[in-house]
Amino acid sequence: MRDPSWLIAFAIGLLLLALLPTWVDSYNLTVLRDALIFGLFAASLDFFWGRTGILCFGHSVFFGLGAYIMALVSMTPDIPLPSLLGLLAGITGAGLLAGAVGYFLFFGGVRGSYFTIVTLALSVIAQQVAVSWSSVTGGDTGLIGIPPLMFGGLDLSGDVASYFTVVALLATVLLGLWALSRGRWGRILTAISDNEMRAAALGHNAALRLTMTFVISASTAALAGALYVAMAGLVAPDLIGLLLATEVIVWVAVGGRGTLIGPVVGAVLVQRAQQEISSFNPSLWPLIIGCVFVLIVFLLPEGVLSIGTRIRALFRRGAA
Amino acid sequence: MSSSFLRAEKIGMRFGGLQVLSDIDLEIGERSLTAIIGPNGAGKSTFLNVLTGVLRPTEGVVAFRGQAIGGLPLHRIARLGIARKFQIPSIFSSLTVVENLQVARWGSARTEWPEDELLEMIGLRDRRSVQGAELAHGEKQWLEIGMAIASSPTLLLLDEPTAGMTPQETADTAALIHRLNKKLAVIAVEHDISFVRALGADTLVLHQGRFFRQGPFAEIEADEAVRDVYLGRR
Amino acid sequence: MEVAATTLLNALTLISILALVGLGLTISFGLMNVTNLAHGEFVAIGAFSVYYIQSLGGSFWLGLMVAPLAGAAAGFILEWLILRHLYDRPVGAILATWGISLILQQSLELIFGLGAKPVVPPVDGVSDLGLITYPTYRLILISIAATTLLAVLLLLRRTGFGLDIRTVIQNREMAEAVGINTRRAFAVAFAFGAAVAGLAGALVSPLATVLPQMGVNYLANSFFVVIVGGAGSITGLLAGSSFVGGFTSILNYQISPSLAQALVLTAAIVLVRLRPNGFVPVGSRFS
Repeated sequence: MRDPSWLIAFAIGLLLLALLPTWVDSYNLTVLRDALIFGLFAASLDFFWGRTGILCFGHSVFFGLGAYIMALVSMTPDIPLPSLLGLLAGITGAGLLAGAVGYFLFFGGVRGSYFTIVTLALSVIAQQVAVSWSSVTGGDTGLIGIPPLMFGGLDLSGDVASYFTVVALLATVLLGLWALSRGRWGRILTAISDNEMRAAALGHNAALRLTMTFVISASTAALAGALYVAMAGLVAPDLIGLLLATEVIVWVAVGGRGTLIGPVVGAVLVQRAQQEISSFNPSLWPLIIGCVFVLIVFLLPEGVLSIGTRIRALFRRGAA
Repeated sequence: MSSSFLRAEKIGMRFGGLQVLSDIDLEIGERSLTAIIGPNGAGKSTFLNVLTGVLRPTEGVVAFRGQAIGGLPLHRIARLGIARKFQIPSIFSSLTVVENLQVARWGSARTEWPEDELLEMIGLRDRRSVQGAELAHGEKQWLEIGMAIASSPTLLLLDEPTAGMTPQETADTAALIHRLNKKLAVIAVEHDISFVRALGADTLVLHQGRFFRQGPFAEIEADEAVRDVYLGRR
Repeated sequence: MEVAATTLLNALTLISILALVGLGLTISFGLMNVTNLAHGEFVAIGAFSVYYIQSLGGSFWLGLMVAPLAGAAAGFILEWLILRHLYDRPVGAILATWGISLILQQSLELIFGLGAKPVVPPVDGVSDLGLITYPTYRLILISIAATTLLAVLLLLRRTGFGLDIRTVIQNREMAEAVGINTRRAFAVAFAFGAAVAGLAGALVSPLATVLPQMGVNYLANSFFVVIVGGAGSITGLLAGSSFVGGFTSILNYQISPSLAQALVLTAAIVLVRLRPNGFVPVGSRFS
């Protein structure tokens, strides 16, 4: 997407989200809030997948790690600034794990499918560890009673306050990731995914750049995970598992890879559809997700938002 | 080993049972201009790969400012100030011309050439916002030379820089290299003799993976034995 | 000593299953450079075949023969409908096969209903091996798996079809140039890998919990095998299965199974860094 149109889309979206509380009731507001947190998660995956072309099939590991660390830290008795420390610890923990994975895989020369498979295995195992290490993680049931967001005396737990917290964080992070991916960082990444050997011959350390991008992406995912548990008040193994890892891929693919805003829209729309469909038959949803995967690959490799671009192209051809 | 600019000593290269290079020496100074020629299969490209450190020679050592470079990671070699233009133009096709140059420049700590001067030099000023994928073959060659220069090297290695160029473009390339040579050392591997003549450089002739002759091009051109090699009489 | 012998046999059971499941993955990865995330469902289809035959009153052995046929049919259809259109789109293949995996799981659940399905082993009891006693069925499982792998090895080494497959793995363009129909070779090899995975599913069905979602674990484990052993060779497959299976079986005595798996994955990741050109062939890691 070109710069002006991205900024216009961003501004319109932000305005819409800011005005929404005036006519939406508080229940729907919290539903949208949670969907936007998952939108932030989707944008974090898109920052890595969209720019490097390398698919991470276990991004829920970082979301879940942020969630569990946030839960454990902020539930520690007598800890000062529980929310802030929890957020920082979650982000740092996920960043460190991503750094370790990147160090072993990217510096070992692994790219493409092998990376995808290893990260897939990572999410399968992370879920198993979350279930079986019950003395810490609470096992299958997870942990409940996580305190809501509080920064000193600032209470952000109300429906409207938490909604605006999420919107503000989402907007800030999106702008940051966008600035990063359209500037020097993003161009070097594009160069690396185009022709890695050429980039290296110009002095770029591709493995280091990929690892750092992965760390940023994972830390952002952990921020989303930590926010989510603070809002929901509970954490469970499905926040770290394979199903969430694949759902986030659907959100990004539906919204359009490499656009950052698209995945947020994709996350909100797909989750809305999920609620509608699950309300009359819960076992139908995985089947539909499966079909969506296949359809996207064959019909809409650029995402659902690309329909607009295609229609415009059709009109232009018609006019010419 | 004394710390000369670039020094290759007793270079031998063997792939499996195949001896591709044996016992080649080369020493060049700063801001020198060297051409490496030889008939097909003489080992020119392999020697260039050894000189840039991409291949670690099975015998001998290549040192740049006294530091052995064989087998170093590509980006480390580049940061020492060695740039290279590949034989097949390899540019970043999803980036524009000017972005290609930017990425090249960001790879090194120094920036000696302003963007506009570079674009002027490689004749792509009007094409600055065109995507790499849409350039013509000759333009890609020029852009790649530009990228190599943008990384502000002190040594530039060119692998057949004029492959696929028209005679006019070839002459322009020779002029460009002379201009660059005021600031940096250049080594060019080439089999187009008219281009090497236009360069008028110190010339190393390889034959069957061995050193054959070295000297000013005028002498080399007059050498009966070199002609025999090129005509396959030897 | 007894513990060591039991551990060894447990490891052999696991290694046999991993090698059978991994065969199809190493074929599609090494031969076609395609990551098939629906591979675990072939295992599930094999297990459900045995359950279905038994529920109709058939014997386990009949189920064991039907399972690879069901796997082959599923594999053939998947290759024909989906994969052959995605050979030059690796990420597309990953997404599409994942979609198919979800569809297959849900279809199994719609057809057979919720909950684990019981499968009765063909023989009960244990065999006395002198030093220790060991469940007879597991001994049968190990022998069938070993025989199958030996047959595959002979098929690849001694037949014209095997030669075609090895040529395609070595150099696809060269294979096309000498007149090998690579598309057909892909299709047959893929269906073959699916059949062997179906057989593996049938073999584990009396020991495992037969669920539509059972495939994911086999998928993850057999991907470790391919990561550690490298894609496209039987030797790599056996080395990878032995590493993963042996490691897991030994660790299972000291720590919980999920922690054991986590350690195996960590070891596999570290191995990739330490032996980038050793265990894993460079060419296949880059796409």
